[in-house]
Amino acid sequence: MTDVATNPPQTAAAPAPAASGPAVEAVSPLRESLGIFLKNRPALVGTAILAIILLALLYGTFFVTADPYEIVWAPMTPPFEEPDYALLGTDYLGRDILAGLLTGGWPTLAVGAAAALLTVGIGILVGALSGFFGGWVDDLLMRVTEFFQVLPALLFAMVLVTLFSPSLATIAIAIGVVSWPQTARLTRAEFLRIRELEYVAAARSIGAKNSRIIFRVVLPNALPPLIVSATLTVGVAILFEAGLSFLGLGDPNTMSWGLMIGQNRGYLLEAWWPVTLPGLAIFLTVFAISLIGDGLNDAFNPKLRSR
Amino acid sequence: MDPLLSVRDLKVEFDTRHGRVTALAGISLDVMPGETLGIVGESGCGKSITALAMMGLIPNPPGHLTDGQIVFEGEDITRASPRRMRQLRGRDISMIFQEPMTSLNPVFTAGDQIAEAIMLHQDVSKKEAWEEAVELLRVVGIPEPRRRAASYPHEMSGGMRQRVMIAMAISCRPKVLIADEPTTALDVTVQAQIFDLMRDIQEKFGVAIVMITHDMGAIAEMADRVAVMYAGRVIEQGRADDILDDPRHPYTSGLIGCIPALGREAASAERLPPLAEIPGVVPPLHLLGAGCAFADRCPLVHDRCRRERPPLAPHGMAAQEFLGGHAVACHAAEREIAA
Repeated sequence: MTDVATNPPQTAAAPAPAASGPAVEAVSPLRESLGIFLKNRPALVGTAILAIILLALLYGTFFVTADPYEIVWAPMTPPFEEPDYALLGTDYLGRDILAGLLTGGWPTLAVGAAAALLTVGIGILVGALSGFFGGWVDDLLMRVTEFFQVLPALLFAMVLVTLFSPSLATIAIAIGVVSWPQTARLTRAEFLRIRELEYVAAARSIGAKNSRIIFRVVLPNALPPLIVSATLTVGVAILFEAGLSFLGLGDPNTMSWGLMIGQNRGYLLEAWWPVTLPGLAIFLTVFAISLIGDGLNDAFNPKLRSR
Repeated sequence: MDPLLSVRDLKVEFDTRHGRVTALAGISLDVMPGETLGIVGESGCGKSITALAMMGLIPNPPGHLTDGQIVFEGEDITRASPRRMRQLRGRDISMIFQEPMTSLNPVFTAGDQIAEAIMLHQDVSKKEAWEEAVELLRVVGIPEPRRRAASYPHEMSGGMRQRVMIAMAISCRPKVLIADEPTTALDVTVQAQIFDLMRDIQEKFGVAIVMITHDMGAIAEMADRVAVMYAGRVIEQGRADDILDDPRHPYTSGLIGCIPALGREAASAERLPPLAEIPGVVPPLHLLGAGCAFADRCPLVHDRCRRERPPLAPHGMAAQEFLGGHAVACHAAEREIAA
């Protein structure tokens, strides 16, 4: 349980170590999970990839000073042909792909994160109320959830985006609105399980009210699978944004990976790189996030790990 | 002396797939200040429902409190608002549970949970509550309370967790402590320690204890008075000594027969009596007929038992002494007296 490597060897049954250093360090379940996560190689690889991507996005524009909207060289210049002007080549208008990748990463990640937050926020709220109160509240909320579940997500998101004009915010909201039912169901299942446990009855027996029991007692114990799901949702949301942009429903005024793919897809046969490179960036990001999500899953369910 | 908590003709029904069944069919109990009342019976007899009713925690749906009163210090708490009930819970009436392994929240430290219970009812700072939590851990006999307050439940043994649970339950000096099978999940040695602790706390704080159990041995150890329950009714009630020495209901005799003989009585194997059992099981509540619910398992059953349910009647003394006296709901016991 405790980290063996950092613990000093136990002084064999020292008589009453009254105030001398803590022999048993209190380890919170979350910290314990973090320890397991840090020993998980794929998860560390994922973290490393994501860290590199974030660092590149943070500092890359200091080195690549080109404006991603500006024409810098002849259209569809292949990568490495003009390393001084466009290292990774240019798109169908002659804009620098590397600059696009470095500036377009933020909107992509931001939309992914915002959509995931929204998804998890709505999902937890609906699922928590539904699972905790049961009865007609559950019936009502689950019917609403099912309504959203049977809608084809991509089509519905397309409708929303076209209705409210594509911008980063509307895209994030559209993704959030179509993807929360899964989180809601997961949260509900966890709440249904946990609300029957004795520590919930114990919390009631000391006079805690429902809001307190939901947020302080049940939710913290329901978090592990929700954290995993939230992490994976970031990946899904990034893919979703790319998908919408590919269909031409991205925000045309903000450079993003999805937009690059969408604008260049008509020239895919003449030039593969303006589509492939942002695609690769999306792939790596989502891949890294998936590895992290799986690592978190293993960390929270150590029993499932040794399969 | 007036009872501190008094249950009158309490009736609780549950909606099940067999329709509405009666879990408690009008039970009456009194808890006197500072005493220990034992409620004993098999699984499904209604003892835990009685405890939940006293806390105002009958799950609804599917449960319904359809009749009767629970009077705490002159106030009928079956009519109290949810807000008032939350105030009473933990502050005046608190509860400890059967499974110390699962009755503490795994993601917070012992100290956090006790401090939270304190802050729910008292206007104190987080720091004061924490200090009080450490003090309570010391009171319930946890070594190195300051360090243990920062421990998580999974770092403690079952006995230690039950002590934490008790510390939490007494954090606001309640007047009634309901203990629902507090030692069932613990080792026998730990069981004895927890009983000692409960007696200790009763003496120190003058709290009345309602102990719910299926174990007559625990009753013998702890209770001043006993109510024996069967199929949603109190079938025998009286002082623990009277009931243990002179059980009147065949079911109570059966339960007492189930206490394994230990020590000198069991010393020589050939004199060891076979461990008694009560044949059969508690009948499903939806199949209860008009007669005595115990009739099918009773060694003394006769025709009248199947026709007519025996009332809980004072036994061997005048009715006005009922509370302190010994009451039993059995035709056979009555007949025996008459003879």
